[in-house]
Amino acid sequence: MSERPLALTLNGRPLRAEAVPDAERLLDTLRWRLGLRGTKEGCRTGDCGACTVLVDGRGTLSCLTLAHEIDGAAVVTIEGIDDDSTGTVVREAFRDAGALQCGYCTPGFVMALTGLLKERGSAVPADALLDDLGGNLCRCTGYVAIARAAELARRRLG
Amino acid sequence: MASFELLAPRTVDEASAALRSLPPGEAAVLAGGTDLLLDVDQGRATPRRVVSLRHLPWRTLDWNQGALTVGSTLPLRALETDPDLPRLLPGLYEAVRAVGSAALRSRATLGGNLGRAAPASDLIPVLLALDAEVDLVGPDGDRTESVDRFVRASRVTTLRRAELIRSVRIPEPRPSAFVWQRVRPVNDISQVSIAAAYSPSARTWRAALGGVPPRPVRLTEAEAVLLGARPPPDVVGRVAEAVGRHPALVGDRRASDEYRRRLAASLFARAVESVARRAGGPS
Repeated sequence: MSERPLALTLNGRPLRAEAVPDAERLLDTLRWRLGLRGTKEGCRTGDCGACTVLVDGRGTLSCLTLAHEIDGAAVVTIEGIDDDSTGTVVREAFRDAGALQCGYCTPGFVMALTGLLKERGSAVPADALLDDLGGNLCRCTGYVAIARAAELARRRLG
Repeated sequence: MASFELLAPRTVDEASAALRSLPPGEAAVLAGGTDLLLDVDQGRATPRRVVSLRHLPWRTLDWNQGALTVGSTLPLRALETDPDLPRLLPGLYEAVRAVGSAALRSRATLGGNLGRAAPASDLIPVLLALDAEVDLVGPDGDRTESVDRFVRASRVTTLRRAELIRSVRIPEPRPSAFVWQRVRPVNDISQVSIAAAYSPSARTWRAALGGVPPRPVRLTEAEAVLLGARPPPDVVGRVAEAVGRHPALVGDRRASDEYRRRLAASLFARAVESVARRAGGPS
């Protein structure tokens, strides 16, 4: 199996991992190699958004991203959410809106929403923001509270 | 877990050499990887070597006198957030927004979508309606081909061995639209899609049907009947009915033949009305 070292900035700190297989997904690097289990595996087919992390500030599906493809990039996972001021606002909005039930989808939603608000700013129309959140699934169907959290975060950043 | 060697060449020559030194089928090209990696996971692709294009200088977007050139490895999200795209090529904007989800589009690319040539591609129909051309580089030199000629069948293109898609060029801004029907609005595969565009310079229509085997197709008969930027509603209605009888509208697990035919007709009318509205001007 072909493997090589991987260098990332992970949650603000430089990280170097030795002997990472060429075919390894970022999701598996995070969860199994680095022990950051906050990022969830849902479908592993790009359909559910549970594995969303930030790569250079953009929401990215870690299940369909080869770790080596983002060599050198800055990755933020739910564990590092409070290193990002937008991330903190989003996390608190989810808490204040009670926007979770079983919680499995929550890290993906928080990372996706953080990425969207960083990318588009708080001036983004509420419906466009929800449109862009459409790639995240909540198996408890707790969407009303999640939409409330998104709106709360958008307003607090405005 | 599937295993492969990942190479990230710095030049086209290196990339071509990496592809040429293995039998076809054992080497795969990776742009964003969102489709290829799914195929690897599900056993539809078993490459020994994956050649990543990430170091090639193709994450580009250029407007030049109205013509748009999109580098093949530009993430779709970057195309979608170009400030001029919604105004100059609204159909392309709508089609890009129809692909996967925002997070998927952070990695997915136009070159990848075109090279993979899925029958349900949401980008190929609008590229057909915009008369897009694909710019190819390879060991035998560069060539340019219309998207209509480039895409041959499901997952089949004219791409030669060790050849790469460098960019896609759209010749002019066009009032255009892309409409679709799916079970789930985001992150789903279109059961039927229609792209339509009006060329103000040639004063001709273009339309294409997607979500059908073996590949998205130009609706050339419909194009010939629509005249002027504002075709009368009765003409649009008649043409839409004919579109609903297109032989490619067959049933499969995503939709029955009857449903697809009805969808195609109503989506066609909606797309043309949308283009006509965007074209503005006198009828």
